[in-house]
Amino acid sequence: MSTKTNSPQSPARRVQDEIADLERRLQEAKARLNGNGDQNAVSGSRAPRLPTSDGPLSSSAHHFLLLLADSALPLGSFAFSSGLESYLAHTRPASSFPEFLDFSLGSYASTTLPFALAAHRNPMAIVELDDALDAAIMCAVGRRASVAQGRALLSIWDRSFSSAVIGGASAEYVEALKEFTVLLRSASSTASSDLPAASAHLAPLFGAIACISGMSLQQTAYVFMLSHVKALLSAAVRASIFGPYHAQKILASVEVQEAIQRAITREWDTNIEDAGQTIPVMDLWIGRHEMLYSRIFNS
Amino acid sequence: MVSPFPPSTSEAGEGRLVAELSPQKTSTLSTVAFQYPLKLISPSISPNQKSVLVFLLSYGGGLVAGDQIHLTIIVKKSAKLSIVTQGHTKIFKCPSPEVITRQKLHVSIAEEAALCLLPDPVQPFGSSIYEQSQVFVVAESGSLCLLDWVSEGRTARGESWDLWSWSGRNEVWSSSQLGKKSRLLVRDKVVLGAKSVNGQEKTLKREMHGLQIFGTLVLKGPLLEPLAAFFLKEFSALPRIGGRDFRSQDMKDKDNTLVLSSQEVWRRDRLQQEVSDGVLWSAAKVRGCTIIKFGARSVESGRLWIGDIIREEGSVSRCFGEDATMCLR
Repeated sequence: MSTKTNSPQSPARRVQDEIADLERRLQEAKARLNGNGDQNAVSGSRAPRLPTSDGPLSSSAHHFLLLLADSALPLGSFAFSSGLESYLAHTRPASSFPEFLDFSLGSYASTTLPFALAAHRNPMAIVELDDALDAAIMCAVGRRASVAQGRALLSIWDRSFSSAVIGGASAEYVEALKEFTVLLRSASSTASSDLPAASAHLAPLFGAIACISGMSLQQTAYVFMLSHVKALLSAAVRASIFGPYHAQKILASVEVQEAIQRAITREWDTNIEDAGQTIPVMDLWIGRHEMLYSRIFNS
Repeated sequence: MVSPFPPSTSEAGEGRLVAELSPQKTSTLSTVAFQYPLKLISPSISPNQKSVLVFLLSYGGGLVAGDQIHLTIIVKKSAKLSIVTQGHTKIFKCPSPEVITRQKLHVSIAEEAALCLLPDPVQPFGSSIYEQSQVFVVAESGSLCLLDWVSEGRTARGESWDLWSWSGRNEVWSSSQLGKKSRLLVRDKVVLGAKSVNGQEKTLKREMHGLQIFGTLVLKGPLLEPLAAFFLKEFSALPRIGGRDFRSQDMKDKDNTLVLSSQEVWRRDRLQQEVSDGVLWSAAKVRGCTIIKFGARSVESGRLWIGDIIREEGSVSRCFGEDATMCLR
């Protein structure tokens, strides 16, 4: 039941959503007044659009949207700061978290979001997308972070989600993921080679699993980017840049909402061949994380 | 007077270069073809040269808006080719955003063959739009040394990353063999000047964070293996950031009297230069290629830094000859 929106959400669309929502509530209220509770027909006619939607969370797609957006999803994201720790060490005392957030959002979107989008559009291509992303990550630290979280997500799929989403999911996509898992296991048993058959990077797996779980392309992109911001803020709190309330304030801010939306709009039509680094110094900071004397994060 | 330049092909900006090993075991050019605005010049061959040298030039030392260059290079079995430029490749400003200046390079490197491409930096002027795509198909035992670097523009005119857009893509593929498909090893893409996510224009200067030059060095194959290992070793030998010197004064005095080897002296001097010139770099081995990324606070200090390491290690000069590194001096 995936409903694919073809363009990212604009303010106009948000107003349309609100109108649709108000109309639905009006109809429901009328239905209650008339004593006939035919709600399914009404809610079924409305496209579930998140994250602004506050509609009924009845469908399995919504359920998995919340699970994949949850910071308790055991990906181990808390172990990675995506270059924040290294940035602080390189720019002290002139460090600025808003500046880094800006850089990180732009850079993360331009390098990885096209892969998540491509995998959602075609989960059958998971092996090729994983390989292409593996060729495009130029530093050891970033590669480790992406692979660690990707493998964790694949395990979550394998052990926890797959038995629950069989319902609406396309059987061939599920089969493609299964084959990918087998390929990954065979690749890691022959670990000596420079060229692995599969690596399990986060972005393409996230796109594919979100697609199978019934999330729309727009939801997938938003959750993917929001999770990155959440991981950065959580790292910032643990690096003692600011406290948890300030972190929530930034997370909730209109600036972050707009920046995510702009990043998605910018990368919506980017081919994976054209995905690239827009903030070159980011590669230097992330690559030099290994050079820090003391580290609390893995990236 | 007979023109000293080889005859031209017909397509504008097209060029073709084939290097092969002569029966006398020296590398020679069997084909040199080019068309305005591209220009290829090879100095006369001396019998003991280690590789055949070609200057990749453009008329006027730069590319004007809308210029399209498409160069195909074939390095045949066991041949060695070095490509250099003469000064920065200037990218002139564009009259409108639709006019894109493009440079495409397609290279195939055969078994035991080698290519060394150490050009001057690309210098995109204010309001320029440039797209560069370089594809290298390298055989299992082929070698590649590729430097791709871009500077902030005409510093003398006060430009600092005022270009409209710059994108560079470097791909390294393994060549297809019996029963094996050609496979992508590395795809390095940098996109500068596309509108930033904070919605403001003219943010590139801020995003470059004080770097005047940014470059990528890609090393692959047996001939460049020693240089790759050298970079990785120097990278892991970098002093820890934020580390403190816990030695007592006595220990420091004692350590200062130790006689350092010439390599240790060189490393100490280089590290001092890295700090004073704001050189940031990282090195990593990615799918059989070694990738070095670096940035510096000035174009000259970037050139000094990369040239210093490549000369200190010495395998580029040994394999390709001194001239291969002339752009790094």
